[in-house]
Amino acid sequence: MKITIWGNELPAWTSAAALAESGNHVQIVTGLDQAGNKNEIAFKISNEPGLQHCIDEAINSGRLKSVTAKEGLSPATHIICLNPDEYDIAAQLIKELATEHPSNLLIINQSNFGVGSTDKLQALLYEPYNQTLAYIPDMLAEGSALNNFKHPETIIVGCSNDWALLNIKALMRPFSQSLKQWMLMTPKEAEFTKFANTGMLALRLSYINELANLADHLDVDIEVIREGMISDPRIGPHYLHPGCGFGGLHFQQYIEGLSELMEVNRNSKLLNTVLAENEKQKEQPFRKLWRHYECDLKDKTVTIWGLSFKPGTASIDNAPSLKVIETLLAQGCKIQVHDPEAGSNIAQYFNNHKQLELVDCCYQALQNSDGLLLLTEWPEYWSPEYDEMLSKMRHPLIIDGRNIFDKEILQSLGFTYYGVGR
Amino acid sequence: MSPKETTAWVDLQSHAYYMSQSHISTLFDESPNRFAQFGFTQDNLLLDLSKQRITDETLRLLIDLAKERGLSTWIEALFNGEHINDSEDRPALHTALRTPKGVKLEVDGVEIIEEVHQNLESMEAIVTKIHSGQWRGFTGHSINTVVNIGVGGSDLGPLMACKALAEHAPESARNLNVHFVSSMDGSQLADLLSHLNPARTLFVISSKSFTTIDTLANANTAKEWLKQASDDASEAILVSRHFIGVSASPDKALKWGIPKANQLAFWDWTGGRYSMWSTIGLPIALKLGMKGFREILAGAHAMDTHFRETPLEQNLPVLIAMVGIWNINFLNINAHAILPYDGRLSHLPAYLEQLEMESNGKSVTRKGEATTYNTCPILWGEVGTNAQHAFYQLLHQGTESVMCDFIVAAKRYHDTDNSELKHQHQLNLANCLAQSRILALGDTVIKDAESAPVYKRYKGNQPCTTLLLDELTPHTFGQIIAMYEHKVFVQSVIWDINPFDQWGVELGKKVATTLLDALAPNASIEAFDASTQGLLQHISIRNK
Repeated sequence: MKITIWGNELPAWTSAAALAESGNHVQIVTGLDQAGNKNEIAFKISNEPGLQHCIDEAINSGRLKSVTAKEGLSPATHIICLNPDEYDIAAQLIKELATEHPSNLLIINQSNFGVGSTDKLQALLYEPYNQTLAYIPDMLAEGSALNNFKHPETIIVGCSNDWALLNIKALMRPFSQSLKQWMLMTPKEAEFTKFANTGMLALRLSYINELANLADHLDVDIEVIREGMISDPRIGPHYLHPGCGFGGLHFQQYIEGLSELMEVNRNSKLLNTVLAENEKQKEQPFRKLWRHYECDLKDKTVTIWGLSFKPGTASIDNAPSLKVIETLLAQGCKIQVHDPEAGSNIAQYFNNHKQLELVDCCYQALQNSDGLLLLTEWPEYWSPEYDEMLSKMRHPLIIDGRNIFDKEILQSLGFTYYGVGR
Repeated sequence: MSPKETTAWVDLQSHAYYMSQSHISTLFDESPNRFAQFGFTQDNLLLDLSKQRITDETLRLLIDLAKERGLSTWIEALFNGEHINDSEDRPALHTALRTPKGVKLEVDGVEIIEEVHQNLESMEAIVTKIHSGQWRGFTGHSINTVVNIGVGGSDLGPLMACKALAEHAPESARNLNVHFVSSMDGSQLADLLSHLNPARTLFVISSKSFTTIDTLANANTAKEWLKQASDDASEAILVSRHFIGVSASPDKALKWGIPKANQLAFWDWTGGRYSMWSTIGLPIALKLGMKGFREILAGAHAMDTHFRETPLEQNLPVLIAMVGIWNINFLNINAHAILPYDGRLSHLPAYLEQLEMESNGKSVTRKGEATTYNTCPILWGEVGTNAQHAFYQLLHQGTESVMCDFIVAAKRYHDTDNSELKHQHQLNLANCLAQSRILALGDTVIKDAESAPVYKRYKGNQPCTTLLLDELTPHTFGQIIAMYEHKVFVQSVIWDINPFDQWGVELGKKVATTLLDALAPNASIEAFDASTQGLLQHISIRNK
């Protein structure tokens, strides 16, 4: 099948790589604005494990190429993966496609323009001639996007046209081997579902963090509480790990979109509060350090382990590390940071700030340190060499933003330990 | 020489005898060109004096009086930092606070403009830290609320400016709440503290002497509130994270507990009611950003330059002051209403009450002799459209002559799409013009007024000044406040009084101290007068 993919972010490149790998001829159009340049969004292919390799192979095989917007119009199948604020660009594109393909035009919208927007865009097309727009929400998690695309458990399709549905199923056949279900609904319902899921996850994270902060005050261990909670089958274990806030580009963007929708239509501050509290939560490790040192961090040396917004990615979009580093710099600290992937992104973000030192070895980052802040739970941090840590640190203080360490063991070794809610 | 002994004063008295018979409406009939004759401008300000009971001759004699009183020499003395505050033997250099960087001004051997800008930079560092969310409280949360604790000059100016210019707040300041607390009884503070978050609240303690009991009482209450809210933080930490001191007495601020790093300084030569331009303006800078604050300073400096360089005949502060002298000393008007037709300027009347009455509410000349003429009138005011439903009845039909200042912006709401809001501004302008018209011209403005019953008649002839700003911006705001400051100074020169001291407020503080002791249980009260004794006894019984 010949397909054009419109977009320059994770969903666009993931779809392009996976579809080319399964034999399709894919063209990608990354420049859609008037100047032909895509905004320099923080997304970097290299941040996503395996994606660069898959793209390189597809290009080498000749099944994936980057084309101009004009060239991109020719195939009859299109996937639009634009940013939430690029609705007008999508509308213009769809008008052009409708002129180019008077009949049998399949457009899959994977952009989150908001609930009802696919229907609005469909109105630019003539459905009786099978000019159709379907909405398939992207269910990609940053860090495992390719895997999510290639091995979905559920595919939600928002589509009311049988011809389009037939073609979508054909397109997705290579990836539907282990599929548990196709969920068919209207585009509007599918858009709402995507929003609803994202909001639910954010609410769970926010709730457990709020409980953890309360546990801090009441001197109980949130881990015990959490285990009690997840033993209830109505609740389950997902997205209930307390920590120093969530980040990532798309998760945050979707919640902001949903939050606005709720506020405009319902005057509801629910998700707005979630977002505001999450921003505060990102600084929670800083606050523990601040109180430990009695509100004076001038000239302290602080170590940070983990800079990416989650393990398995080099992306630092909305990562807690950004806020923590900014705050520590403002307080006059020297900061020694380590991350398996994201170090160079941080160095670039902070413009190689002179108070910020990027270190290759996580133990080296502890040299003369007055405290370690663990912000991202990369596997290699879970079971460190405690003796080496003790020998390097000036003050054996650990602030565990992801609750990955064993409090009792650390304390018995002589560390001062603060977790999230413990 | 007493002002009454000048030639111009004597001439003005005879001129007044003739003019006091005239009505403003007649003056308009005689000279339809009055607006061109008595309208004066500076930058974006228009001062319309045509609804005053004056003629060309009046203005000429008033300017003569100013000249005879040596006004130009006094203006130079003010700007040059001479010790014109003679009772306290120091200069009054509020004009230096808004002088641009690079200008040289040496006062008592110190290059002060440089110091002024160093202080502004210290202030900027604090503003930047707070706006960037990096001023942290004892829990590590960023500060999002600032409470200014101060009274008089440490309150009125910043309060007025923050209200007047709130719409000019930059993005970085939009999430910062700025509150003001002044009253000694703690009622404002208690009300505020009940809904503030201690972890995110910063107190600015503003006091020139750092001994003002009103301010320290509120500051102590704030400190106690923080102590109760924080289980384990020490007092030193709480004060260092949650208090900034703005004072000309750094040692006293330090003694109260505010470390030097949290202090902003100003100088002895900055009078309290002239201090908004100094670090006392910190709340303004927090609300408007340093850019906005510097625009206010630039506006005031533009007025300073105008005041210093423009011939007296075209000089706005001089003209408005001399017309005031005319009304007070020659037409015997002792009341002055300040009527801003702009809700944003709702605190302007209170500000000018202090500026004018604390500066010129005096009856002793610089030589220590009793004045034989009236000085500062009673000032009061209110947002014009609200005052129309309150004291305008007296202005229109009462027995008192009152001079009125109408202050209004020509342009407003040009950024909004809400046509109703734009209409409200038209309504406001219409009311402003209507009221000054009736107050000055009386019911001659309508046909057949004579046929109305006497209780429906309007006699008019209340002298009115209209100050029309192009629009209310930090710049024009700075201009008008500086204009009133200089107006006060000009009048003080005519009256031969020192506008920069305030000895009349001292005794009350002392006597209050003795009464504080008298309020203690079983204190001896025989030394007080019968009324005070009676009241003390009554209070004591009610508190048992």
